[in-house]
Amino acid sequence: MKKKQWIAFLVAVIMLVATLAACQNQEAPAETDPPPVAEETPEPEPEPEPEEDEPEEDADVTRELPRDETLYVMGFNWGPPNGWNAFGEGNMNNALAMEQVGRGARLPMFETPFMFNALDGELIPLLAYGPYEWNDDMTELTYRINPNAHWNDGTPVTAHDAAATFTAGREFGTDTTAAFAAVIDSVEALDDETVLITAALTDDGAPVNPLMILTFLGQNYILQEAWLETLAERNDNDGAAMQTDPGEDIAFSGPFGPYLLSDTMVVLVRNDDYWGQHESMWGTLPAPRFLAHPIFEDNAAATVAFMAGDIDISQVFIPNVQDLWLDQGLPISTFMEDPPYGVPLSIPTAFFNMHSEAPGIDNPLVRQAIAMAVDYDLIIANAMTNQSPTFAEVPRSLMNPTAGEQAMYNQEEVAHLQWEGNDIDGANALLDEAGAVMGADGWREIDGERLSFVASAPYGWSDWEAAIEIVAAAGEQIGVQITTYFPDWSVYNTIVTAAVHTEYDIFMMWTDDASPAQPWSRIRNLLSSEFVGNDNNWSGNWGAFENDRVDELLALIPLETDEDEIRAMYTELVEIYLTEVPSFSLMYRPAQFHAVNESVWTGFTEDGDGRNVPPLNAVNGFAIADLFNIRPVN
Amino acid sequence: MKNTFKQIFRTANFLIGFIIISIVLLFITIYPIFNPGNPLRMIGQDSFTPPGTYFSLYDSLDVSHVYTFRLEGADDNRIYAKLSDTDREHIKEWLLLFNDYDDIFEIRAEDIDLEDTEGLLGLWWEHFDPEVRFDNMTIAERRVFARLDVNMDRLFDFYDKEVWMYNPESGESEYLKSVGTLDYVNVSDVANVRILPLGTDNFGRDTLKQLVSAIGTSLMIGLIAGLIATGLGLLLGLIAGYIGGIVDDFIMFFTNLFTVIPGIVLLILISYSIGQEHRGATTVALVIGLTSWVWTTRAVRAQVMSLRNRDHVNLSKLSGHSMPKIVVKDILPYIASYVVMAFILQVSSGILAEAGLSMLGLGPATTESATLGLMMNWALRYNAHLSGAWWAYYPVILVIALISFALNMINTGLDRVFNPQLRG
Repeated sequence: MKKKQWIAFLVAVIMLVATLAACQNQEAPAETDPPPVAEETPEPEPEPEPEEDEPEEDADVTRELPRDETLYVMGFNWGPPNGWNAFGEGNMNNALAMEQVGRGARLPMFETPFMFNALDGELIPLLAYGPYEWNDDMTELTYRINPNAHWNDGTPVTAHDAAATFTAGREFGTDTTAAFAAVIDSVEALDDETVLITAALTDDGAPVNPLMILTFLGQNYILQEAWLETLAERNDNDGAAMQTDPGEDIAFSGPFGPYLLSDTMVVLVRNDDYWGQHESMWGTLPAPRFLAHPIFEDNAAATVAFMAGDIDISQVFIPNVQDLWLDQGLPISTFMEDPPYGVPLSIPTAFFNMHSEAPGIDNPLVRQAIAMAVDYDLIIANAMTNQSPTFAEVPRSLMNPTAGEQAMYNQEEVAHLQWEGNDIDGANALLDEAGAVMGADGWREIDGERLSFVASAPYGWSDWEAAIEIVAAAGEQIGVQITTYFPDWSVYNTIVTAAVHTEYDIFMMWTDDASPAQPWSRIRNLLSSEFVGNDNNWSGNWGAFENDRVDELLALIPLETDEDEIRAMYTELVEIYLTEVPSFSLMYRPAQFHAVNESVWTGFTEDGDGRNVPPLNAVNGFAIADLFNIRPVN
Repeated sequence: MKNTFKQIFRTANFLIGFIIISIVLLFITIYPIFNPGNPLRMIGQDSFTPPGTYFSLYDSLDVSHVYTFRLEGADDNRIYAKLSDTDREHIKEWLLLFNDYDDIFEIRAEDIDLEDTEGLLGLWWEHFDPEVRFDNMTIAERRVFARLDVNMDRLFDFYDKEVWMYNPESGESEYLKSVGTLDYVNVSDVANVRILPLGTDNFGRDTLKQLVSAIGTSLMIGLIAGLIATGLGLLLGLIAGYIGGIVDDFIMFFTNLFTVIPGIVLLILISYSIGQEHRGATTVALVIGLTSWVWTTRAVRAQVMSLRNRDHVNLSKLSGHSMPKIVVKDILPYIASYVVMAFILQVSSGILAEAGLSMLGLGPATTESATLGLMMNWALRYNAHLSGAWWAYYPVILVIALISFALNMINTGLDRVFNPQLRG
């Protein structure tokens, strides 16, 4: 070869090496997954707010925050936050400071009367002092406000604040109050300390739903009456404007207050004047001085930071999380050392769309056949990388795997209906029974029309996407054509929450996880016809299933006090669910993922440590107790 | 013609590229013969099974011919498998922590001999207590020691293991056989053995098998995209260049329009609007082809414009030859070599475009076909690069790089022969 050719060859080899290196480096940025955080409450489009903090400033703040005094969490907030106004929670996209949900409200900045403990269902007093009390027929509930509780401006938290929050919420139409408007007639202050909640009544004088009132105690914040008045005044009593006001001057009673809000980071700073250091509450201040939540582009970026020890608590799904400590020796732990690693509280479910015109979907036998053919062990081992119990361990029903809920129905009575999956013969037999004959092209047909469905999950929610792929693979084995489709979340949620939608035949959505109203609330969320045909339906039953007996039972259960009777009704609901198959659960899943990196902080909750603190990332409900228990490693 | 081929094959660049492509093609043709079946079948239940030979533990107990080997150091290997160097370090660490914690127990770092397995374990078994919590001990550290303790349970007990068969119907267990430390079976005697040279992906699919199928699909996508792009580019370039005038202006208007829109943006928008339910491998190839014809058009047009006033073309015109005849006989042969080279580059960029699209989640549906881009996409989504599952993405990167490298080598080799400026 000539010299020139040798040089050319050499250059080619260098280029190859460079290409390889370049390919590797490009990996992370190429990932454009939106965050797969199914359990986060979806936020409406963020309002365009003039941003005060320049990105350069953020970097400075990160440098300024002393690492050994800052607890970094991630996985709650995606996209830029808009403010601190808990009254307009839905418009703030500030999930570090606020989230009002049944599993326990987010408590660093704003506080609820009681803290819900998702592990045992207990309501533990926070702003309240002592237990709540029902009157005999459960139409009135009273509790007292802790006389030591005060706002960050030093004024006491009173029963009037509790009453004003509910009244203003109802008057100005906040989503957080709307959820309870049907069950609570009024919240009143009997004196400075005593709060009276009067239940809404049915026609025959019974309370509509006492379970939901208990949920209210651990879900809805108490906001300052004086601040609410200021808010109403400066927005001319315009409810919509009040809910988009960034609320930078908001009064708070929690241990942390606002410090920084930017496109890349939310930071709370400890309020050293926090009332909870009084002996009647925590008796101390939280260990970290700052609570910071960097806003990452996607899961992969967040996970890299977590692995490096830049983040202390992770709320994102990390596939094969055990590799982090077993193979890589990182100081990372989950609540439990072994599968399922966390506490599974929710049941991600594939819904059949009853509005779909695809042939066969209206036939319960076809629906059940698809559900029976799916290999759930594969979904749990693969898509969830074993971060869920199997359906052999916890047979399918409407209950989550906690012992309390499992005891709510008669397992023996429905055992014959609880399929475990991967039953191709059983599924084929059902399809034959349904009159679906195998066509010449290898796909089954009903009345000459091919059984062909579109199965969907939002793009980038990797565990759901993988699960839907496995559903599609099952369809292929029984001659049912299932095509997968993963649209962007913004498209997906608009379609799925529409009053009537026909785009997806099978699609993934979540279920309720934990609250005092479970499993009733989850069953309502899965099966109640009250949500059918509702515009902007975020409440449930997205597949538009309708069954009169289900509605009847859902109305009866909250008022029933006889436990055997309740159990019988729940069992009947499970039976209907497993024979009608309006939807089928693909896995169990924690309400929030929870993993900690103990490079800087230790003392987090763990299974069997006797503290009974739920693994909800030190911010939700009783999990906030972790903030008062952690300590620096060095 | 024969001479040209000879010349081409004498070029080193071409030869290297040609050999690589041939090997790849040969491999993807032969491999499925030895390992037939659906490459998308999810065979493993776990995600990212590492490469290796897997044999059924169940079947290995049934192998009739059991051999006896007295291998040196077999027991040491057994111990090492349960107690690695890192584990020994952990034992030492715990003993030293315990030294600080317990007032009575005393040991110095230099007294702990990591090589002395029995001494080390003696100390461990005597003193380790899972309930002991040192100051500032993290959950992670405590769990490391607890796992270590479980792992070392019965470390020296090399007793025979008994195999019993459980009959779920009668609820009784029946003794079958006993297995000793000297017993060996030949892997080829085991009924079910599966070799996974590249392990499995996140869905538990055989990575190598999928890779072979993906190379085929990606090459096909590249070929279709290349054919469409080159064909379209050639046709438009010929028409614009030869006819000129308003036709040229019209075509160039569109060509310029497409030139200023970045190809990848167009590609993403079109792929997105098609919707995934219609997005098969062929559709993706079509989309790629339809968005990458611009540069071929411009180059062909420029060449044709310089050719059309040459003497031989004018002679043909004077002889009354029809336009198609002139184009085919007098112009095409002069630009044929360029077109072939452009085609090869289009194939290469088509493969890369598919990889890019699939990485963005806009590629073909996963359950229908395997492509190189889709394999990368899923490996990335299941954090293969974070959990060390190199086999799920490195071979794919390597193959993509190798194919584009080979195609580019072929191209430069051809260039050397056909480009008068380089010919030497």
